[in-house]
Amino acid sequence: MKQPLFALLVKRKLGFGANRAAKRRILFNLLLITLVVSALVFAQMFVVSMSRGIADKYALLGNGHLQVHTTEPVDLSRYRAVIDVQKVGQSYALIYSPSANRMVRLKGVQDSYFSELRKEQLTMGEPYVQSESNLPQILLSTTLAKTLDVQIGDRVALMLVSQSSIRPQLCIVQNLYDSGYQELDANLVFSNYELMARLFQGKEETYYELLVEGDALEQTKRELKADGYAVTSWDEENYAVATNLNTSRQAVLGVMVAVAILCGYFISELSRELVEDDKYKIAMLTLLGATKRIIRRSYFSTVMVVTLVSVLLGTLLGMAFALNLSPLLSSIAARSIPSLAYYLLDFSIVIPWLDILIITLVLVGVSVISVLFSLRRVARIEPISCAHFD
Amino acid sequence: MMKSAEVLRLEQVFKSFPATLRGGPPIQILEGIDLSLERSSSIAITGNSGSGKSTLLQISAGLMQCDSGRVWFEEQEISALGDDKLSQLRSHSMGFIFQNSLLLDDFTALENVQIPSMIAGKSEKQAKVLAMEMLTTVGMQDRLHHTSDQLSGGERQRVAIARALVNAPSVIFADEPTGSLDEQNASLVEDLLFSLVQQQQVALMLITHNYSFAQRCDVVYHLHDRKVEVSS
Repeated sequence: MKQPLFALLVKRKLGFGANRAAKRRILFNLLLITLVVSALVFAQMFVVSMSRGIADKYALLGNGHLQVHTTEPVDLSRYRAVIDVQKVGQSYALIYSPSANRMVRLKGVQDSYFSELRKEQLTMGEPYVQSESNLPQILLSTTLAKTLDVQIGDRVALMLVSQSSIRPQLCIVQNLYDSGYQELDANLVFSNYELMARLFQGKEETYYELLVEGDALEQTKRELKADGYAVTSWDEENYAVATNLNTSRQAVLGVMVAVAILCGYFISELSRELVEDDKYKIAMLTLLGATKRIIRRSYFSTVMVVTLVSVLLGTLLGMAFALNLSPLLSSIAARSIPSLAYYLLDFSIVIPWLDILIITLVLVGVSVISVLFSLRRVARIEPISCAHFD
Repeated sequence: MMKSAEVLRLEQVFKSFPATLRGGPPIQILEGIDLSLERSSSIAITGNSGSGKSTLLQISAGLMQCDSGRVWFEEQEISALGDDKLSQLRSHSMGFIFQNSLLLDDFTALENVQIPSMIAGKSEKQAKVLAMEMLTTVGMQDRLHHTSDQLSGGERQRVAIARALVNAPSVIFADEPTGSLDEQNASLVEDLLFSLVQQQQVALMLITHNYSFAQRCDVVYHLHDRKVEVSS
């Protein structure tokens, strides 16, 4: 192997000691690939983080990660991965204010329900301080409050529907919460568990909501089922949402992979361009005795160095953008832009390593194949053709 | 077969080209060429433009295939050699000088002369030392780090001579090496080429229009009407 020659050719092609035009071309391609990769990584991180954020909202505020359907008192905290157990009652009711009404899901929870983990998912207002009224208190979302045109401390009526009767119950809006995802909180009302039990007199659905460690959901579900419990997971309870999120994530990944394939193909254009511009030089080198193999390898290595550096820079840049997105999203969320009302803007960014690996590997893989393919043209350059260029 | 003193031998070489890109009857360029070049000797090929001098040089150096006939170089039949063997032969045993110096324009004079040694397998350091020696021999020691566009025509041709000789080849193939130079520079390059060829005992195959230049070779062939004949 003619290592010194190979190193010299690669270094020069990469722009070290080369003229300005050669440097500019390499920098331009490096910049272009970096930007494409960073956009791909950023978009994938954004989509995955947003869909996980939505899933988290549903799991933490909607139904918990797992639901154990029993009314019997049970000790579910003994399961290894379970981090929180809450007994919950739920039913449906019509809520009335002087100006509007809405069908809502009424969820009766105990005081310990709003743990730190759940509070992280919420923005709460200042709670109503009860004076002389003995009316039961409920917790509405800001979205629902806006629909009903009520504030903290206002009165609303719940129309409780059971099989045998329909009866109203006046309540006071004790506080307003904002989950950041209106699709979820627009019809979710929290009340005290005892109040719920009293109002519905056992007609409400009662179950235990479990929060489990992230990767132990399926395992815990299996363990609970093995112990004879009727268990469902959040995605079974919210099948349409979970399926939509999953499909969207896969579709976006598919699009990203398609763009990565195009980008990989574009990289072969760089090698084609380099070879076209260097026909004379390649002919000269072969005339001087360099084998086509070493010339092809030097061009391949040059393009691959540009590709790998761009992929690395693009990945880092995309991750840096995405990881610093929260303040921007918060400021957008704070502006309450109507067209973004039903988008989740308040979520924490996660790094989907596997997706990023798939995108980058596809890009590098496609570029390796297409560059090797495009470098076949080196074999067609005859050594004597260098004499025809001047 | 080659005689022991011979480094290059052509036997009954025929070459034709199609008349047009679309085909048509071929134009015969070379017809039954027999030629030999002994070690440390020189031959010149003269002839009119289009007579096939450059084609003959290219066939001799294995850069072009002949239609029929055989070309022997250092006891190997060139047409039977694969790409890698031919590359090896060009790297170790052949040097080329063309009318236009054909330097690699984004490399310095030193690197241009260094590259053939690196292709031949020398380390960068060894190649650099050899290149500097060779450039000093051709009087270019003050232009080591100049690129092609910073050199005059004569200087570029001196670098090309250094590049052709740096691997101590057995044959130099020179195609109109002074064709693009003014009289003064042409004379300088001529002198330099012949002195180095003699000093390094390298065989020379020279293609030229210039009869006085050709006459400095041991044998002068005239290519006329597709055949070569020894010029008087």
